Amino acid sequence: MKKSNKLNRREFLAAAGAAAVSMPYLIPSSVLAGPGRVGANEKITMAHIGVGGMGGYHLNDMVQRRDQGQVNIAAVCDIDKNRLVNALKVAGPGVEPYHDYRYILQRKDIDAVVIATPDHWHGVQMVHAAESGKHVYVEKPACCTIEEGQAMVTAAKKNNVSVQVGSQGRSQPEAYLAHRYLINGNIGHINQVDCFHYPSPEDNNPVPDSDPPAELDWDMWLGPLRWRPYNKKYCHGVFRWLLESGGGQIRDRGAHVMSCAMWWMGADGTGPVTVEATGTAPKKGLWDSAVLMDVTYTFKNPDWVLTWRQMPNDKLPKAEERTGDEPGGKISRPGYGAIYRGDKGEFIHWGGDGGTWAEKKARQWELPAGGKDVYKSPGHKEDWFKGIKTGAKTIMNIEAAAGVANLCVLGNLSYILGRKLEWNQAKQTIAGDQQAQRMMSRPQRHPYHL
Amino acid sequence: MSTNSFKKVSLVAGAAGVMAQTASTALGQGVDELLAGIKDSSDKVRTEAWQSAGEVGAPAVKPLAKVMTDDDLEVARAAKRALWQIVRYTGRPKANKERRAVETELTELLGKDQPVAVRREVLWMLSEIGARNSIKPIARLMRNEDLREDARMALERIPTKRAVTTLKAGFEAAPEDFKPNIAQSLRKRGEEVAGYPCKKLVPTKQTDVKPL
Repeated sequence: MKKSNKLNRREFLAAAGAAAVSMPYLIPSSVLAGPGRVGANEKITMAHIGVGGMGGYHLNDMVQRRDQGQVNIAAVCDIDKNRLVNALKVAGPGVEPYHDYRYILQRKDIDAVVIATPDHWHGVQMVHAAESGKHVYVEKPACCTIEEGQAMVTAAKKNNVSVQVGSQGRSQPEAYLAHRYLINGNIGHINQVDCFHYPSPEDNNPVPDSDPPAELDWDMWLGPLRWRPYNKKYCHGVFRWLLESGGGQIRDRGAHVMSCAMWWMGADGTGPVTVEATGTAPKKGLWDSAVLMDVTYTFKNPDWVLTWRQMPNDKLPKAEERTGDEPGGKISRPGYGAIYRGDKGEFIHWGGDGGTWAEKKARQWELPAGGKDVYKSPGHKEDWFKGIKTGAKTIMNIEAAAGVANLCVLGNLSYILGRKLEWNQAKQTIAGDQQAQRMMSRPQRHPYHL
Repeated sequence: MSTNSFKKVSLVAGAAGVMAQTASTALGQGVDELLAGIKDSSDKVRTEAWQSAGEVGAPAVKPLAKVMTDDDLEVARAAKRALWQIVRYTGRPKANKERRAVETELTELLGKDQPVAVRREVLWMLSEIGARNSIKPIARLMRNEDLREDARMALERIPTKRAVTTLKAGFEAAPEDFKPNIAQSLRKRGEEVAGYPCKKLVPTKQTDVKPL
């Protein structure tokens, strides 16, 4: 039940009626449907926090859904004024702009928020939104630290909100085909999954620190991170290449490719017993995430091995030739994916995010009578809407997403520390290494904390 | 300079208990070679140098801190990364003696003679490996307006009762505008704090962008 719904339905409608004279706000659908949920035929009222990059994609997507009568859009928020102004142009009249996302969380008429800020904000904002009774779509990776993931899981459960994390590969049509193909034993018992990816970039044109641009609130961009002077190599999109805020390819695409692996291997809720990483560091510049990387995760009971390898482009597996006429079209992201190795054969997929391409043999395979079918997502946002309206678990729920993010975080921790880590899944802690244990969390600046 | 040459120096240094004079010389050479690598004009050499710094350890801490403010940004950055490498290497399990030696060197970099940027970095290093001996020097910086927030966060991360006791004392002595910050750390460490309610959900920043 939502904590924020203090009024009963009748009281709220009376109050809302009075308030409507002076306020343009909408009645939250959850009031019409009952506490915590939106009625099956009601529109979900949305707000967007972070509207550049993927946030811009989500806003455009939601505008289309609004125009089709599926949702309302009440507010947009960004700490970059230029991005906020652009978002208003996209969203149109009737949408309120905000600089500080916490004003959005105070609005009782908003049912759900889409969070597409830099990764170091995901944990804090998702927890705050859940504590304010909002359903949440939050971009991947779910979190930057183990502690953030734990707090996100707790907040979602405690406040009974539906959370979908943006590892949308699980919802792709060919992900369904791959999952079904693998789970029916077509390559036998799978004992190893090897994820591949091209390298993280290097900052070959470093620049000195400077004053932030006038349109950017640098202090709030940093948010929970410790303060440091502005440098244009921090943002916007390039935050990805800093271990602290983005985590490199492993936390960016790892949150997609390893998400598919955990889903298809039936491994959500489990974790590795050991994690061992090596990598090559950038030779100059601000960015510090590993350029090449090699991580091995060992799972027990059942026993299997997951690897993550960032490799030179010429070492990547060759992508399958496909015509543009086929469903799914040509493989436009051949630079990442995974090879599944079973005792009867192998299977490969490319992409793993909004573009996911399964090898031909899985696409052509037909489910025999008595074969095992798997959940087919109606679409990543549709799956979230279903969760909001019915309470059904989303396909990339926060427990699963935190588990996948933990893989990325642990891989980076092992790389940073230069040593093998032992992970205790039951206790959600790193065993026998006090420094690594401290690094499972990161103190956060006041007042931007979990 | 190659990774191997750093390791060779370190191996020589490992014989220090037997031949103190030799070891002292070797350690000095190790630091000198490391600094030479850090200051090299080649990106490749600098990178190899900072990646090999871990085994050089405590003797390199203060010399590296000096280079962290070098005019050449890439040299300064390599020195900072070398120092972090030492912190990550000496924080490994069963290396308490090395860790304590590095901790001691780091705490001596928290004085007023060091630039704020160096002290801020050192606070975060101590948040990972600091213990009993770090608490007092860190606590002193909770009275420094430039560094008090980093000092507060460093103490929050050190998992000892003494760190909590020190945060409590810091809370009592803190000016009103900083008490909420320390209250945040104390609550994180499971302490109850009267007054100074959590402000995390209180919005503060309005926009001047108008709706269409």
